[in-house]
Amino acid sequence: MIPQLVTYHQRRRDGRWLRLYVPVVPVALLLSPLLLVAGLAGLVACLVFRVSPVGALRGTAQVLWALPGSRFEIEQGRTAVLVSVR
Amino acid sequence: MSEKEEGRPVNEQRRQILEMLGEGKITADEAERLINAVEREQPESPPGAAPRAKTRPKYLRVVVHSEDDFNGPSRVNVRVPLQLLRAGVRLTSLIPPQALTEVNAKLNKSGVPIDLTQLKPQHIEELIEQLDDVTVDVDDPDTKVQVFCE
Repeated sequence: MIPQLVTYHQRRRDGRWLRLYVPVVPVALLLSPLLLVAGLAGLVACLVFRVSPVGALRGTAQVLWALPGSRFEIEQGRTAVLVSVR
Repeated sequence: MSEKEEGRPVNEQRRQILEMLGEGKITADEAERLINAVEREQPESPPGAAPRAKTRPKYLRVVVHSEDDFNGPSRVNVRVPLQLLRAGVRLTSLIPPQALTEVNAKLNKSGVPIDLTQLKPQHIEELIEQLDDVTVDVDDPDTKVQVFCE
């Protein structure tokens, strides 16, 4: 399953929370023209550095598929950041 | 956990934990650990049925608590799916040999004589497979570090 929702929470120094919920699929659709360009740049990079484009695509897909469930929580003093992928 | 609690349905225990979380008696992290513990203690199968195989851990957890007089207390809580580590390891097989040679040279220069060309993906795969049983606990007066799989 690809990531559905990326959550970003940040507690500022004044104690207020910034909460961002990023729905991955709609945002990816919105950015699809940019993703196409990035894909082409990746293909060129693979050819330049003699890396198998199919292998690179498969590896990237595996990383993307394995991302859901990741959670990073860092808190120091009054500042805190939480990134969660679901 | 008491015998009385063990006899209760898991859903009820989970609801109690969530209530404690809602009342602020425990933190979200503690609630998560308690729910995991309740799920682990749940009878795997009805009496008389063949015992099921032990469920394999899915996540690698790194928890750091540190008390710093200057910056205040700091806390790091990272949960990474083991599948992500495996996927990352498979990506390393794509690194071109000339890049590995350059990395080796830099590592040597920094005093870390590791030959990455000898490190095969299947070796790292085996390493990740064995991570299930790894538990690292570091207790220091100011810092506590825990690395475990769940």
